[in-house]
Amino acid sequence: MSVFLHDYRPYNGRLTSLWRRPLVLARYGMAEAWSSKITVGLFVLALLPIVVELVIVYLANNPIARALILRGNPVLTINESFFLSVLEIQCWLALVLTSWIAPRLVSFDLSDNALCILLSHPISRFGYLLGKFLALIAALSFITWIPCLALFVYQSYVSAQPWALDHLQLAVGIFVGAALWIALLSLVGLAVSAWVKWRIIATGAIFAVVFVPAGVGGIANAILRTKWGLLLNVPVVMTEIWQRLLGAPAFMNPRLELPNGAMAAALVVATLMCVAVLNARIRAREVVRG
Amino acid sequence: MKATDTIRFENVSKFYGEVLGVNRITLTLSPGITTLVGPNGSGKTTLMNLMTGLVQPSRGTVSVLGLPPSNATEFFCNLGYCAQFDSFPRGVTGFQFVLDSLMLFGMSEEDALHLTVEALERVQLDGEAAHRRIAGYSKGMRQKIRLAQAIAHHPRVLVLDEPLNGLDPMARAESLALFQELGRQGMHVVISSHILDEVDRVSDRVVLITGGYLIAQGNIHEVRQEVRDKPMQVLIRCDSPELLASKMFSVNHCVEARLHADGRGVFLRTGDIDQFYRLLNEIAVEGLVKIDAVAPADDDANAIYQYLIGSDGSPS
Repeated sequence: MSVFLHDYRPYNGRLTSLWRRPLVLARYGMAEAWSSKITVGLFVLALLPIVVELVIVYLANNPIARALILRGNPVLTINESFFLSVLEIQCWLALVLTSWIAPRLVSFDLSDNALCILLSHPISRFGYLLGKFLALIAALSFITWIPCLALFVYQSYVSAQPWALDHLQLAVGIFVGAALWIALLSLVGLAVSAWVKWRIIATGAIFAVVFVPAGVGGIANAILRTKWGLLLNVPVVMTEIWQRLLGAPAFMNPRLELPNGAMAAALVVATLMCVAVLNARIRAREVVRG
Repeated sequence: MKATDTIRFENVSKFYGEVLGVNRITLTLSPGITTLVGPNGSGKTTLMNLMTGLVQPSRGTVSVLGLPPSNATEFFCNLGYCAQFDSFPRGVTGFQFVLDSLMLFGMSEEDALHLTVEALERVQLDGEAAHRRIAGYSKGMRQKIRLAQAIAHHPRVLVLDEPLNGLDPMARAESLALFQELGRQGMHVVISSHILDEVDRVSDRVVLITGGYLIAQGNIHEVRQEVRDKPMQVLIRCDSPELLASKMFSVNHCVEARLHADGRGVFLRTGDIDQFYRLLNEIAVEGLVKIDAVAPADDDANAIYQYLIGSDGSPS
């Protein structure tokens, strides 16, 4: 029997707050995402439309340019419709970036059995996912609401008339609309990453999750002669949400417009499905069934 | 011993669906080095996962130093875990791995840096190697960095799942010396290992488990003495082993004698160890045989494993 000296001293320094710990995992996620040159390429590509739109805003607000180049072209009016199209472009580019970044975020940890090491720290499964979620949210923010709001600020700056206060709903709409979309995309991306090991398949699966239900909804609409199948059509649902948030003119046939409550319910159901998948897959150990 | 000083399993069962992990385990582990011994699939890793809070028991309760796993912050800060999987988050350096681990425990960057350097020194991983990516490490270096991660935050309980796998003899000896040092300092060191010969030398107690059931636990010598249906084997070094063997065979509890290969000793098997030692004393007093050394030959974890679990469940 050993003679125990009992002189072992546990760490008794100050601990940081619980909310800071997922940031370590967020950093892992960011490092993983940005280690690829393709990520950098996609990021630059996603910012190119903003440069074009910046030029458009400049031209639209410059009287000489308007007179000489644009000749009063009404297409270049900076209004709700302009910002709706900017938001749409950026949000669909965010889907492309998600389909590249997200597949490796969780699948690497699962295939490397790194989860048991990470979860043997004072961090819960929720904290783990929050870290990965934050990594995705941060990357997607830089190509969605941040450049869109930067464009809004620039338009406010170059506009001859007071513009920002009259269009505050635009700023709020851009932020909320983009936040809803990137949160949904991040959850879908993480759920697919937790379920699918191979990147190519996972990338395809992310697109499939967004677009395949639209086809199913279209079939349901045709067979049942209803409009409710549109709730499965993510592009339509999101575009309607953005249009209403930004106060842009309606683009749908009024007969086919979806109520806000139904669209919110569709988003909640999609979110819950992603959470259920993550809950099933994110475990500290593999369950071996004999 | 107080609950705050022990690891306790009270009637713990764990089922993975229909598959049995462990069943009705009641166990109290005090400070020191405990070795979990059992064949593959016996439930050792499940027991460790329960101890580390990675899985919840289907029935019963587990407490580590009086803390339930639900008290996550305090529980995990008192616990260091070195998993059997050769797995790390991708792309990180050894130094970053240990540093980030400490920050996940909630330490400030300054403290984490200090403790990282200390842990790396303790496992003898040099600074140049520590700043290289783990993907380029040898198996031994990976084991060292996992061990550094497990001890860096100064836990009071260290759970090591197969910590000697892949280490060369020198590194194994260094690791065992470190475990011994930590055990002597009053830390709980729980080791699961198939390298029984080596862990046997440093263990204070063994826990034998097979098929999810606890077979035996306690000090190795005590456990061996409890296995009464297997005669104990003793090696006696002496000047005339043949004479000693013949004297010993005059009593009926001595069931086997085998000369040592060098001819200067004899292995004797006895069903009554107390009687055996009494008789040996008498022979020594008579002076007919000059006895140099007496040592149990099957009083180790390996023998206990063979006797209680059998060769069918041979370790791999």
